[in-house]
Amino acid sequence: MNIPLDLLSGVLSFLFTILILSYLIGDNPLFRIATYLFVGIASGYVATVIWWQVLVPRLMTPLLPALNSDSLALKIFVLVPWLGMAFILMKISPRLSGIASLTMAFLVGAGAAVIIAGAVTGTLIPQFEATINFFDRDLAAARNIYFLEVAGNGAIILAGAVTSLVYFHFGARPQADGSMRRFGLIEIIAWVGRIFIGITLGAIFAGVYAAALTALIERISSIFDFITLLRTTFGL
Amino acid sequence: MEIIKCPSCGENNTSDMEFCQNCQARLQPLTGPLKGEDKAIKPGQIPTNKSTAELEPLLPKWLKDARDSARTGEEEKPAQTSSANQMPAQQAAPKKPSAPAGDFLSGLQAQSGDDEDDEVPDWLASITGDTSKPKSAAEETTDTRWVEMGNRNDYAQEDAAADADTPSWLAGLQPLEPHTEEKDELTDWFRTAAEEQKPSYQDPAPIFESPVEQMPPAKPVDDTPDWLRQMAADAEAKLEPVQADVYQDAPEFSLDAPDWLSNLGGAAMESKPESAQPVKQQESTEFPLETPDWLSSLGSVEIESKPEPAQPVEIPLETPDWLSSLGGAEAAQMSEEESVVFAESSLAGSEAEEIPSFDIPDWMKSSADDAKPLQDTTPRWLREESNLAGEPEVPAWLSGTGSFELSSEKAEETPAQSEDSEGIPAWLKAAEPHHFIEEPPAAEVGPLQTPSAEEERSRPFNAEPPAFEADPTATEDLFTEMPSWLSDAMEQPSSSTPTAITNTDALSPSELPSWVQAMRPVDASASQPASLSSDQTLESRGALAGLQGVLPAVPGYMPTSKPKAYSIKLTASDEQLAHAEILEQILAAETAPVPLEVFSNLRASRSLRWLISALLLIGTILTVSLRTQIFASPSGVPNEMRNLLFISQSIPDNAPILVAMDYESSRAGEMQAAAAPLLDNLMLLRAPRLTFIATNETGAILAERLMAGPLAVHNYTDRVSYLNLGYLPGGQLGIRAFAQSPTLAAPLDISLQPAWETPPLEGVIALNQFAAMILITDNAEAARIWIEQTQELRGTMPFIIISSAQAAPMIQPYYNSAQVTGIIPGLQGGAVFEQYNASRPGTARSYWDAYSLGMLLAVVLVFGGGLWSLISGMRERANAGEGK
Repeated sequence: MNIPLDLLSGVLSFLFTILILSYLIGDNPLFRIATYLFVGIASGYVATVIWWQVLVPRLMTPLLPALNSDSLALKIFVLVPWLGMAFILMKISPRLSGIASLTMAFLVGAGAAVIIAGAVTGTLIPQFEATINFFDRDLAAARNIYFLEVAGNGAIILAGAVTSLVYFHFGARPQADGSMRRFGLIEIIAWVGRIFIGITLGAIFAGVYAAALTALIERISSIFDFITLLRTTFGL
Repeated sequence: MEIIKCPSCGENNTSDMEFCQNCQARLQPLTGPLKGEDKAIKPGQIPTNKSTAELEPLLPKWLKDARDSARTGEEEKPAQTSSANQMPAQQAAPKKPSAPAGDFLSGLQAQSGDDEDDEVPDWLASITGDTSKPKSAAEETTDTRWVEMGNRNDYAQEDAAADADTPSWLAGLQPLEPHTEEKDELTDWFRTAAEEQKPSYQDPAPIFESPVEQMPPAKPVDDTPDWLRQMAADAEAKLEPVQADVYQDAPEFSLDAPDWLSNLGGAAMESKPESAQPVKQQESTEFPLETPDWLSSLGSVEIESKPEPAQPVEIPLETPDWLSSLGGAEAAQMSEEESVVFAESSLAGSEAEEIPSFDIPDWMKSSADDAKPLQDTTPRWLREESNLAGEPEVPAWLSGTGSFELSSEKAEETPAQSEDSEGIPAWLKAAEPHHFIEEPPAAEVGPLQTPSAEEERSRPFNAEPPAFEADPTATEDLFTEMPSWLSDAMEQPSSSTPTAITNTDALSPSELPSWVQAMRPVDASASQPASLSSDQTLESRGALAGLQGVLPAVPGYMPTSKPKAYSIKLTASDEQLAHAEILEQILAAETAPVPLEVFSNLRASRSLRWLISALLLIGTILTVSLRTQIFASPSGVPNEMRNLLFISQSIPDNAPILVAMDYESSRAGEMQAAAAPLLDNLMLLRAPRLTFIATNETGAILAERLMAGPLAVHNYTDRVSYLNLGYLPGGQLGIRAFAQSPTLAAPLDISLQPAWETPPLEGVIALNQFAAMILITDNAEAARIWIEQTQELRGTMPFIIISSAQAAPMIQPYYNSAQVTGIIPGLQGGAVFEQYNASRPGTARSYWDAYSLGMLLAVVLVFGGGLWSLISGMRERANAGEGK
């Protein structure tokens, strides 16, 4: 009798779902079994993906053809990753760990450049422009949005951004009574910023709850789908 | 002037200095006959005999200075002629042999002269040649007891101070002077003993084992000091040389007696032929040693004395072994119960056995009646010794005389005083206790049986009677016979009233040996009354019993009654005890652990958790199982979703669309529910060529799950309708690289086949050649990275983000900045888009009731909990206000 793969996967998914939901009664061996299995399976799958989708196609496969080719550039291009890998492996030896610094320096430098450039050109400047454009009537018209609405939105966004930033200003000064307090105006603005921050955190919490709820619903639904499958398969 | 650096300390010295001014090390090397003499002797090297005078340049500077000062002091002293008559032989023997190698006393003479305070005893003075200082009677008081060591004038000294080769202390050796009453008893004893017998000495003296002075074995003939040789000569002049076997074992004997002393005997034995009769020391001419008069006179005194029967001699505890063995040599032969005991040396016992018997002086003979207590604590032999005058005091063993004969007169006078002898020095008599600690009956005491005078006279010297014989019972007697001074003290406690300790008990100054008196310090306050108080009350009890005038007798000062006994129990009142108990409780409370306050709300949170969980599970199960549609679909379209509807319509048919998968498998249910409606709409309307790429390891398999799940109805085929490029490594760098050159960044698909030649990617070599880009992610960070890295390379390509509900608020600004075309926020967005997709695939709708119920429950709980917290807070504040 051939066991359908769907049935087998369904059984396993149902089983592990029950094991994870057993955490409701507290930490128990069943939950731990499920978590350990998950960690192990995930680790094995990741290792397989890395080997087959990274090392083999990008490091080993191009090696022989590149060495056999006449192109020097191709050879260098293929050998450079090998050299970098060798340098990284030098970290095993404390005496030779200094050699790995060459590859690490390249990776850190290149990564920092990409990150900084992306952050500046992809977030900071566009966001500044967007905040300024909120008060642009022409853009609002081009977008078929009422200016007041846009302006109102912009004002709120601007106020929220400024007050949130002021909230994180901690330049306090000693007062006459000896206590350390910020400037009065800053205290007021920070208080407003606290409201925006609170609302933001609340929204984030709601989103997290929604995502978790959706995951719960999906799992419950899958359980019922499995039961239905069993009933269909075995004619129950 | 040149500067010389000291090799020892490194101090700088001038070139003219012979010794270092800091450490006194030699700077100038030795020249002449002494060249190389200051070098250390190597192991195995036999030292060569050197005269002391020759080696004087080698001496340290401080020692040389001492010797020089001693010489100068000797020159200032009046010539000593008192010993000229006593020891003419010594004067006639100006020959001063070289100092033996063992002449370690060479520096004594130099040092003794510098010390003005220390008075050289007479017997020593006679040896060294220094004249003893006249004793000052005023300095002595009856309260202080001293032992006279002898006067310098009692001993002969040589006039050879100017001789560089002769040590300075030997240079002053002069014939012994007839000592007066003030001379010490030792002188007389020595003299008497020297007269009685001349012990025979065997050579050689033991070899000095001192590393400092590695001297060759002593040769009595060559190495004997000059003064000693002179003494021996004088002794021979007085007495017959007696070759005794006392010093046959000179090497062993020397442990107690100095080597020079033993050498003296050995030299005497060598030089003097054996003679059966004791000869006066003065008459002995063959005796090579310069025996001082006092030493030789001892033998003469003994000879002159009447022979007396052998009497047991009780050797005091403090008498040296060699001294005791003198008298016990013959006694050991006679009886085994001789008591020759000397506490100072254990070897003397065995040594004494081999020593031939000598004519032991009377004072050395112990009698059976030695237990007789004496009222006068002054030893008889000490007193009698002081009566001896004009006689040289040379001990027989020192002068090489024969046996010592105890003075019978003294023995007869006081039987208890077994050591009575005319020739016994006072200091030796004083050192001899008359009574031992344990005072056994006289019968048990093994007297030291000394040969009688007749026996000693009759015994020729050739027989070499041992001067001292070991007494097996000597050891017992040592601890049994109580000295007189101690026995007297023990007799006193029996008396009810102690007798006052008066000065009469002390030795009279006249009886003390001169050398003892000379050693007495000058008591500046001696003239003062001993007791400041005029009260001479005799103390009758206590530790001060017998003393007078010790404590002032204050009327009423004496304790009249027994001290009152006080109880050690603490007396405290009840109140004090109560306070102490409270204090103990306080202290105990400090160390007692404070129980932690248990928070009761822990229980409530657990039950509340269970409640919430139950509500959620029940609502979800019911709605999902029943597939209810109670809650209406979301109405209204969010702003971020408005353009999505137009995008799906603006994309051309069969256009390549890039779909980036960047969410975790745990969010697969939500993301699939949110992405399925849009993809379904696009696949349904435009049949695009989908290209999936993942930036996490599980993205590729999730893409396959999406295509095999809600989008399976479209029957898309891998590498025909869609292509899965698999995992894109490198994070931001990989995304940047893919955006710049997709063909190089991802050349192969998930099956490791060339991807860019397949139909789904036909005509696409750059990122901007895609018709649209859809990012499915569950975190805002991934969305930001994709936005930032593809910002400049996307061009006008629509960029749609399908995000989870938790990431949607943080991706919203990118929509507001027009960096993102549209956002589908979680299940709600999917549910909204499903309304515009003819409710396809319907997953979002099936989840919507459960989702709505859960959200409603959450809203109720949050709102209700906040309200409850507000009310409870207000109530607490009200209660707190009422409490104040």
